[in-house]
Amino acid sequence: METLLFSGRSVWTMIHGIVLGGGALLGLAAALFSLSTIRVADATGLADATAEQQTRYLGRLLVLVALALWLTVLVGTYITFPAYRATPPDSLADLARYPESLIKSNPGTVWLQSFAMEIKEQVPWIAAMLATALAFVSVRYRFRLLHDAALRRLSTYLLAVCFLLVAGVSLLGVFINKVAPLQ
Amino acid sequence: MAHAMNDSGRMQDTAAEATHPNGAALAAILGAGVGAFVLGLIVILHEVGGLAVPALYAPAGGASGRTAIAALIWLIAWLALHRRWSGREIPMRRVRIMTGILLFLGIAFTFPPLWKLF
Repeated sequence: METLLFSGRSVWTMIHGIVLGGGALLGLAAALFSLSTIRVADATGLADATAEQQTRYLGRLLVLVALALWLTVLVGTYITFPAYRATPPDSLADLARYPESLIKSNPGTVWLQSFAMEIKEQVPWIAAMLATALAFVSVRYRFRLLHDAALRRLSTYLLAVCFLLVAGVSLLGVFINKVAPLQ
Repeated sequence: MAHAMNDSGRMQDTAAEATHPNGAALAAILGAGVGAFVLGLIVILHEVGGLAVPALYAPAGGASGRTAIAALIWLIAWLALHRRWSGREIPMRRVRIMTGILLFLGIAFTFPPLWKLF
């Protein structure tokens, strides 16, 4: 009988963490770079065609990032998290298929549940809300972003916050998956 | 000639869009701050034992209920702010400060070491 290289649970974990979460993180980094280096309007108040094109791409990118983040939190909360927190049968010695119980069984790794996973349960939702707001602003206000330094600065700061949240949560996810992967 | 007219038309479109009142943008941004704060508040109230939110999906536990309620309140707050501010020019400073405070509190409330203080 042929053995599968990855289980369904493992594939969902990769979709959650690498495809969606990793994709969103890359997109956030690109959007942050784009927004902070955009060539703004000149003294006459007119931005050049390249800058306008850049804002169009920025808007599309942030829509994709917001979509990726929502899919990440939905897959995380409703598909991978239930598998992670499943309760093992009584007297089961090998907890490899029950990551939460495995983590809690070792005093050295308990913090991965009490700190890392607790943060991972909530904080990505904040990042998804923030990314959605920024996607809206970058699509609807793409010309104003070129002319309004205050709005551009506020968007850049919030994008940086969103990037840091997703990066931090991703790192915690890597720690958990290294110690107790969903198999 | 046609090219010049196209350029002129594009410049007028750009200028018109560049002066879009900022209300809808700030409504989206402050709405996200409200969503973050509400999520943090629900989490910390749950952790200190003052609020029990039922699970939306039992295998995912209470996190599914807490996040779903916060997402719903975020959408309602955004919609309400949008209806109130869209088409208006809103002073940015106050919104920036409020969003910063709400975001900070929302993130801080989801930080487990803080729960032990209560």
